[in-house]
Amino acid sequence: MSDIRLEHLTKSYGDSTAVDSVSLHIEEGEFYALLGPSGCGKSTTLRMVAGFVKPSVGKIIIDGLDLTPLPPEKRDIGIVFQNYAIFPHMSVAENIAFGLKLRKKSRTEIDTAVRAALDQVGLTGFEDRYQRNLSGGQQQRVALARVLVTEPRILLLDEPLSALDKTLREEMKFWIKNLQQKLGITTIYVTHDQDEALTMSDRIGVMRAGQIEHSGTPREIYEEPATLFVTSFIGQSNILDVTCQGVKENKATVELGGQSLHASTRHLFGKGTPAKLVIRPENVLMGKEAEAQGVPLLTATVIDETYQGAMLRYRLEIAGQEIVAERQNQFHLERWAPGTEVKIGWTERRARALPDEKPAATGS
Amino acid sequence: MTDLTGGSPTPRQRPSWLSPNLWWLVIPAILFILLFFLIPVLSLFASSFDKAMPGQITFQGNFSWNNYERIFSRSLYYTAIWRSVWLGATVAGVCLVIGYPLAFIIARTFRAGTATLLTILVLSSMQLDMVIRLYGLMVLMGDKGLINTGLIALGITSEPLPLMYNEVGVIVGLVQVTLPFMVLSLIGSIRSINPALEEAARSLGSSRWHVMRTITWPLSLPGIYAGTLLVFALAISSYVVPALMGGWKVITLPIHIYQQIAEVGRWQFGAAVATLLFLTSLFAMALYVVALRRNAGGRV
Repeated sequence: MSDIRLEHLTKSYGDSTAVDSVSLHIEEGEFYALLGPSGCGKSTTLRMVAGFVKPSVGKIIIDGLDLTPLPPEKRDIGIVFQNYAIFPHMSVAENIAFGLKLRKKSRTEIDTAVRAALDQVGLTGFEDRYQRNLSGGQQQRVALARVLVTEPRILLLDEPLSALDKTLREEMKFWIKNLQQKLGITTIYVTHDQDEALTMSDRIGVMRAGQIEHSGTPREIYEEPATLFVTSFIGQSNILDVTCQGVKENKATVELGGQSLHASTRHLFGKGTPAKLVIRPENVLMGKEAEAQGVPLLTATVIDETYQGAMLRYRLEIAGQEIVAERQNQFHLERWAPGTEVKIGWTERRARALPDEKPAATGS
Repeated sequence: MTDLTGGSPTPRQRPSWLSPNLWWLVIPAILFILLFFLIPVLSLFASSFDKAMPGQITFQGNFSWNNYERIFSRSLYYTAIWRSVWLGATVAGVCLVIGYPLAFIIARTFRAGTATLLTILVLSSMQLDMVIRLYGLMVLMGDKGLINTGLIALGITSEPLPLMYNEVGVIVGLVQVTLPFMVLSLIGSIRSINPALEEAARSLGSSRWHVMRTITWPLSLPGIYAGTLLVFALAISSYVVPALMGGWKVITLPIHIYQQIAEVGRWQFGAAVATLLFLTSLFAMALYVVALRRNAGGRV
């Protein structure tokens, strides 16, 4: 059981900064996802924790031990690569035994451990297969077995599912998470897929341009995003231009199309500053539903309706801006034709006011 | 003009530009090989079975085993065969030991600029004429050469070390000439190894050296075999290096061939020795193919 502490971890290459003073504390047994677009620094951060990249500044402390000066082979860390990196000139059994042989285990100990590991990943009988006769998913599992058999302090996964097809990916997501929970091993999971991050992790760190913009539980990240980038990277969001009238106790009063609305916020705005009102499509209530909730109502005009089977998607126009509402397609719900006026609204708890943002710069 | 459509039997396999109607483009190359390789080599074989007649170049058609009998009955030639093979193998070994680390550094250098620079340095020695390079080596390694003068001046030895006009000189010369071939062959092979494999091994607890032994080396075997074969073939067939660096004391098969043909005029006998040399190379290549087949299974 190990916890991970990253202190001001930085990596610069000449003028550009790939990782910008990242500080993080990951609890024992936690499944922590580093999520972000390509180039955000998540892989570099992972590689620094693994020891393949030397940090320009900062420390990596695992279980109270400063591992920063140590080379990868002395860190006792397990890492699974994007392309699995199965040794092609060794059988599955030899692959899995690799780490154990280095730890000078006896022949019988190794054989037992290898068999147990194969059983754990559901590949019993695959001992003598070679990489060229394994599917992507099987290689994935061999890579995991190979790493887990050495009982490392922590587990690092670098986009392990991105090379798999969709159905396999779904299956593997739960399988990996189950395994991780069963073993209770502290894990850092790097991905650009928000779905993986949301379903699998205990906490997510959303990264952009070398910094963690928001670190929190999936619920916090989704419902209370700290920045505009986080809100648009995860799920869908409506981002409306509003003017802020003031903030009181984390509640902002904003003006949209002549109407005063409230939204939750963590920021302070001066009176009259432009801000962004963020509301997710599934939280935009329409018609009778909006009235029934007793929320402040606004009048919007329907632009169009898109039938998505399980969902109905409405594009609406309000105060000169476009807003999207998503509703479940249940038989008794009302529907509106394009051009009609409809009352919409939302609970203020689900709306957030965020500061306007310049387009993302890269690093420094 | 002939119809270019519908020529390919399996459109998926053959690229569209390689239409069968363009086969005549290969003719110049085939003619060249036929004229300047196949025919000369075959006539060489034929000559070797001809009765030895000093001064007679043309094929006489008198079949005899004389030439081969002569070779295998004299220890002189046995020694030469053995020496050639031994030198070839040693040179290949030395090139591998020196060339592998060099190739590894070049293949794994992160900055493209540095890698290119190092490769150019390795290849730069090939830009000079071989004889000129060898004379340079002679300046370095002779009794009054730079190395010996330096060693004597530093008091390490009192007598000059015999580095020239013996096997040591020949080996050094051959290594200098063949090393670039080994290095280039290895660079390609090492580069093709996925770096993630080495990283995976290290994360499992393997030291850099252990990674080299268990991952990099086995996976670069195809390049090692190819480089070794190439160096061996070049080394055993070298005439200039043993001639200059060996002071006519290191007699290899090529030197015998030269002597028989250019000095004594015994073409048929020289052809027999040359055929023997050719067969030695062929044998080495057979070993290469066998070794490759047995280890090809591990290639990525």
